[in-house]
Amino acid sequence: MPVTVLLIEDNPGDIRLTREAFQESGFAVDLHVAEDGVDAMRFLRREGIDADAPRPDFVLLDLNLPRKDGREVLALIKEDPNLKTIPTVVLTTSDAEADIVRSYQLHANCYISKPLEFQKFSEVVRQIYDLWLQTATLMRNCA
Amino acid sequence: MLDAPRSSGLLEGVASIGGTCPPTAEATRLARMEARYRGLLKAAPDAMVVVNETGEIVVVNMQAEKRFGFHRHELLGKKMTCIIPGGSVEQLIADCTRTAAESMAQQIATGIELTGRRKDGSEFPVEIMLSPLDDADGILVTAAIRDISVRKAADAHLVQMEARYRGLLEAAPDAMVVVNQAGEIIIVNVQAEKRFGFHRHELLGEKMTRIIPGGFAERLIADGARTAADALAQQIGAGIELTGRRKDGSEFPIEIMLSPLDGAEGILVTAAIRDISVRKAADAHLVRMEARYRELLEAAPDAMVVINQAGLIVLMNLQAEKQFGYKREEAIGKDVTSIIPVGFAERLVADGMRSAQESVEQQIGSGIELIARRRDGSEFPIEIMLSPLGGEQGILVTAAIRDITKRKNADAYLLRKVEELNRSNEELGQFAYIASHDLQEPLRMVASYTELLARRYKGKLDSDADEFMAYAVDGAHRMQQLIKDLLTYSRVATNERRLRETSSQDALTHALHNLRAAIADANAHITSDPMPTVFADATQLVQVFQNLISNAIKYQSHGAPRVHISAAQTGTGGWIISIQDNGLGIEKQYFEKIFGMFQRLHQRDEFSGTGIGLAVCKKIIEQHGGRIWVTSEPGEGSLFQFTLTES
Repeated sequence: MPVTVLLIEDNPGDIRLTREAFQESGFAVDLHVAEDGVDAMRFLRREGIDADAPRPDFVLLDLNLPRKDGREVLALIKEDPNLKTIPTVVLTTSDAEADIVRSYQLHANCYISKPLEFQKFSEVVRQIYDLWLQTATLMRNCA
Repeated sequence: MLDAPRSSGLLEGVASIGGTCPPTAEATRLARMEARYRGLLKAAPDAMVVVNETGEIVVVNMQAEKRFGFHRHELLGKKMTCIIPGGSVEQLIADCTRTAAESMAQQIATGIELTGRRKDGSEFPVEIMLSPLDDADGILVTAAIRDISVRKAADAHLVQMEARYRGLLEAAPDAMVVVNQAGEIIIVNVQAEKRFGFHRHELLGEKMTRIIPGGFAERLIADGARTAADALAQQIGAGIELTGRRKDGSEFPIEIMLSPLDGAEGILVTAAIRDISVRKAADAHLVRMEARYRELLEAAPDAMVVINQAGLIVLMNLQAEKQFGYKREEAIGKDVTSIIPVGFAERLVADGMRSAQESVEQQIGSGIELIARRRDGSEFPIEIMLSPLGGEQGILVTAAIRDITKRKNADAYLLRKVEELNRSNEELGQFAYIASHDLQEPLRMVASYTELLARRYKGKLDSDADEFMAYAVDGAHRMQQLIKDLLTYSRVATNERRLRETSSQDALTHALHNLRAAIADANAHITSDPMPTVFADATQLVQVFQNLISNAIKYQSHGAPRVHISAAQTGTGGWIISIQDNGLGIEKQYFEKIFGMFQRLHQRDEFSGTGIGLAVCKKIIEQHGGRIWVTSEPGEGSLFQFTLTES
């Protein structure tokens, strides 16, 4: 059974890159993409056109997004009793101290700076998969 | 005083003497004489007794009866010694009878002092004036007898007073000289002797000009138009400054005080003479000091205004005239608020709780910034410094007033510039940060996709394509490194709060730990002396050590790198930290350049790196208030040094 991942990212290049990275790693991933914060929340709350959306096992969140930005999305996920159990990894180009601190204060499960090279990016994606989707025991395994 | 008996003309009216004593043959004659004189004698204020040639009393008046306590009949016919016991009376009377003309000449105006005896035996001093009386019955002598007890007592008192006066005179601290109206010295005290170097007997009777050559005698009698009393009255109480001359001819300044003394010999003048050499010298000194003070005041580069406790301007220098646009004479006497409207007068007397003295003391040495007003009403900023000045009129306050318009303008300008600079710095920092972030995104795309391209298609296209892709990937990576370094550099902002006592030993250890792989790879030998505690941001200090040591290891041509780190105290409470290597060394012309951003001295294929390391070090050290520099010889290694403060 493939794991369901929601990638919240506005940059098509990064979306494709993430897709390629998962592909290269050979994992069975059902990758869904939301290109802004509003879409992301609709997907997570299964509202409107996303009423039938699956509940993701895992969220990859970029911080800089149009409309509702990544920090707000993170806050909303972690405030929502239904959503806060979903592991949410901040994956962003920023390595600014302020962003790192703020993200953890908002209960991000993990903060990762996007590596500059594809090689490394690919490795990071694999490590995320290994840790969060293989090593860790997640909520979805519970009744 | 004894007019009646002395006038011979009056005697012609004397006719007879009536009385019971003695009851002799002469009784009739005496009675006749008494009758002749009675009227006259009765009226005389003195005791009057008339004696005949044999010394017997033939006439007595009522005053004589009273004075001596006898009844008339108890005295008539008795010898004169009954009432004047001294034998000389007889002799006198005898003399008197020799020739009337002779004795008259002898007696007139001279009273003879003798002792009278009353009936009760008590005695009292008398003065007797005798006058002969040529009578038909022979020569008689009229004796006018005056009780001089009171005068005697007064005389005794006078003697006593004079002795006391003399005592006072001698005890006086000043030289005292008493002068008569002729300007002759009649009394001199011991101080006067000392002061002038004369012996008393050398001065007595001398003219005052011996010791005070000019000014004294003139004042004494001033001029013909004024009386001596006038001239004196004028001088009393006022000290007159003259010149005294000693016996040896030397002169000295004196002050004399005159006072009149009504003496038996007419008006005398007592002159108290004080040597004022010392005071004169002090005065001269004071005048000199004041002149100097005035000169100082005038020469001062600041406007100087002296103010009294009432807040009135009492003095003003040239600068003050210029600054305030007032002429000195206009400003003096004006209230200080006319030149410094607010803040000064208030400070001068502050409030009722503080004394003026205190409030003045409080201000000393502290510059107070106030607003001054010129005569034309225009205002300008000033700084004043107050200092108290003990004067004859109480405490004065000297205010040094400096026009600080220029400084104020400069301050404002500086403040504006600092603000501008801060803003532009902030903008620049923000710019670097944002630019590097925003540049990062597309660059990551370029890098990632060329890499992806290379992974997927390397060897599948032609060899040119492979080479092109390799350059594209390399370029993208280098660009990424530059941006990363730029970001690092822009983030070097030393936060004051993170500066603390830091062990540079720990920072060094930390840096070496971070570099352990590079050190091992290069087989570098790193040594260090004990390192001090400095005032720094620990993380940034690690960064500096790391960059410098990494450079020392990297720029090597051959052999094992040897790096030594040491510290030495500066004279001013700081430290110089040195990193000596045995590397390539640097030519002198590049000593400055290497600390610039992205400055490199080597080709890319020789040594990697963007050239940001030293720029970051420089920025960190300078933000710590220190300095970084290099000394080196090509081939001889380099010595990088930087300073840090201790606290």
